[in-house]
Amino acid sequence: MPVFKTPFNGYAVRFSPFYEGRLLVATSQNFGILGNGRLHVLEIDPASGALAELRSFETADGIYDCAWSESHDSLAVAAVADGSVKLWDASLPPAANPVRSLHEHSREVHSVDWNPVRRDSFLSASWDDSVKLWTLDRQSSVRTFREHSYCVYAVAWSPRHADVFASASGDRTARVWDVRDPRSTLVLPAHDHEILSCDWNKYDECSLATASVDKSVRVWDVRAPRAPIANLAGHGYAVRKVKFSPHRENILLSCSYDMTVCMWDYRAEDALIARYDHHTEFVVGVDMSVLVEGLLASTGWDELVYVWQHGTDPRAMP
Amino acid sequence: MEKAIGRQRVLLQHLHPSSGSDDHPTLSTSICAAGDSAAYQRSSCFGDDVVIVAACRTAICKSKRGGFKDTHPEDLLAPVLKALLDKTKLNPSEVGDIVVGTVLAPGSQRAIECRMAAFYAGFPETVPLRTVNRQCSSGLQAVADIAASIKAGFYDIGIAAGMESMTVNSVGRIVPVNPRAEMFAQARDCLLPMGMTSEIVAQRYGVTRQEQDQAAVESHRRAAAATAAGKFKEEIIPVTTKIVDPKSGEEKQVTISVDDGVRPDTSMSVLAKLKPAFKKDGSTTAGNASQVSDGAGAVLLMRKDVAMQKGFPILGVFRSFAAVGVDPAVMGIGPAVAIPAAVKAAGLQIDDIDLFEINEAFASQFVYCCKKLELDPSKVNVNGGAIALGHPLGATGARSVSTLLNEMKRRGKDCRFGVISMCIGSGMGAAAVFERGDVVDQLSNVRRIQSNNLLSKDAM
Repeated sequence: MPVFKTPFNGYAVRFSPFYEGRLLVATSQNFGILGNGRLHVLEIDPASGALAELRSFETADGIYDCAWSESHDSLAVAAVADGSVKLWDASLPPAANPVRSLHEHSREVHSVDWNPVRRDSFLSASWDDSVKLWTLDRQSSVRTFREHSYCVYAVAWSPRHADVFASASGDRTARVWDVRDPRSTLVLPAHDHEILSCDWNKYDECSLATASVDKSVRVWDVRAPRAPIANLAGHGYAVRKVKFSPHRENILLSCSYDMTVCMWDYRAEDALIARYDHHTEFVVGVDMSVLVEGLLASTGWDELVYVWQHGTDPRAMP
Repeated sequence: MEKAIGRQRVLLQHLHPSSGSDDHPTLSTSICAAGDSAAYQRSSCFGDDVVIVAACRTAICKSKRGGFKDTHPEDLLAPVLKALLDKTKLNPSEVGDIVVGTVLAPGSQRAIECRMAAFYAGFPETVPLRTVNRQCSSGLQAVADIAASIKAGFYDIGIAAGMESMTVNSVGRIVPVNPRAEMFAQARDCLLPMGMTSEIVAQRYGVTRQEQDQAAVESHRRAAAATAAGKFKEEIIPVTTKIVDPKSGEEKQVTISVDDGVRPDTSMSVLAKLKPAFKKDGSTTAGNASQVSDGAGAVLLMRKDVAMQKGFPILGVFRSFAAVGVDPAVMGIGPAVAIPAAVKAAGLQIDDIDLFEINEAFASQFVYCCKKLELDPSKVNVNGGAIALGHPLGATGARSVSTLLNEMKRRGKDCRFGVISMCIGSGMGAAAVFERGDVVDQLSNVRRIQSNNLLSKDAM
């Protein structure tokens, strides 16, 4: 299946919600510690099956996360390590980009997510402990959510409710928020270690997954937050990102510092369905295609982007 | 810069969770030296490297009183040459040359004795032999000569050896025949007895009697511990010889396989009682100088591809050699100059060296050299040195090779580079760098950078 070599270390990968086989990849030089960033727009060539670059955009600092707009097929938002959130239009040449640069966070922005219901707004989460809400028509943030006491690593909109989102932080809590309310509606002390990622179940509006430095992924019912519904153990090191499948209610995908990507069925007794060890460095970004069931993508610090069908070997060449 | 350190701290937290009780950390973050001045990567692809496949020695025995007091010099050399053949099952006719380091005996006579020893050891007439004399580093010079000749392509397999019977040939005072020496200070200093140069080193560089005695105690302690632990068993070849009882004149067959100069009970109080041997108010005594001994050692060297083809174990790779000159009056400082030169020639820094064998000709010069180079005492002469084991002049270099490489083998693959060095009478020093040969790095050599704040120097 297709592989793409990025010049910098991979940080995030996202399938386009509009085009099959189109991807956004965020990368950072020197493992995101020092140097530039680059946002790649990649596409799988339908004829050859190879992964080719449509466009790439440079930033002066690393890019930690990216997200496609849900309203416009070429618009994307990127979380930049210099504290800015940048909007890019992939249909415009690099000279006309970024179309917007929003600088309000005082530290690295680590996560962005586009609202999939209302489609006009997006969130950014930063190491300055805050989450900010932005809309396309305004130059400054609409709202700032300050409650976490350490870096916020991830933010995820609810796929059902236009105003609800969850955040995951190094303060060992995940929080559920309503944008109309300045305070969080739920504080979930989900792990005893830093929480690096969270995601909502696409079929069950109350189900939230968290991934932590404690090597585990946990699935929670936000109505009964005292104990997790499932505790998925199997990664060897901190779990960096977790995603619910857009097609199957029970399926989760996670990636970890143990250099593997794992697929889980959290309702099954034997939860681990598949383990992919194709990366040779920390795996930092994973995604599942909304348009093609079972199409997976991952990127990591080995500077490689893999796209493959679940059940096949990511390293197998087309 | 501050930002980069902050980012690093956040990311390291993901691998180094600060809280939590149940899990024991299985991963530790190590600092990557890629791109820095790290030692080069170990690789198995250099077939033209000169490697050591076998090294052995006799026991080192006190001259005139020890186990070899009635052994002919060639009977010391022949067993170690033969042992190399026995160990490796090498066909002796494949050896391109034998070089023997030897110091005190008259040159031509000794060269002939050595040639005879080669026959005793089972070498055919077709294998040539020569001697080399660079005083105390003759054995090491022999190794370097063989390595250089292999590099030059003269032959692929060679044997470097060293031997000295200080029972038969003792150190004599050189009587200057040429009055010109009196007018030339440095030439005159060449005639100083070695003990006097030790006194000058102690005086000029401020090495106290206390420090010297301490070094001697440590040498004996380490040598005794190594002997007790059987560490020398692998390198010492038992020699069956005769010994004559001095009183009855009775001749007896014995097998010598243990160094007999080591005194485990040596202590500061015992050494403090000894009188200075060379100068009335001096600090060099019989207790803190190297012992006068008999012994021999031999090293089998060859091209790496030849060794691999024949399936021999690779004990070490010969990396570099340097001989330097210093003021003859303080000839003992030789290693302090030679070691940096050899290490630099190998493309390394002193910090890269994991183990040192520095000849303890005198505790004064040994202590000075270690201090000058700021060496970690736990890396130097870990199995004792010449103060405890003895210093058979021509053999010491070859002896050190087997001691060093065997210790490196024991210490495992983190012990990568070793250095052998010694001072040389008349004001010189020699040093050689060896690398262990049985390890190949998988990806890159990651090493700790002490002062750096986790970032590659290239990023600054």
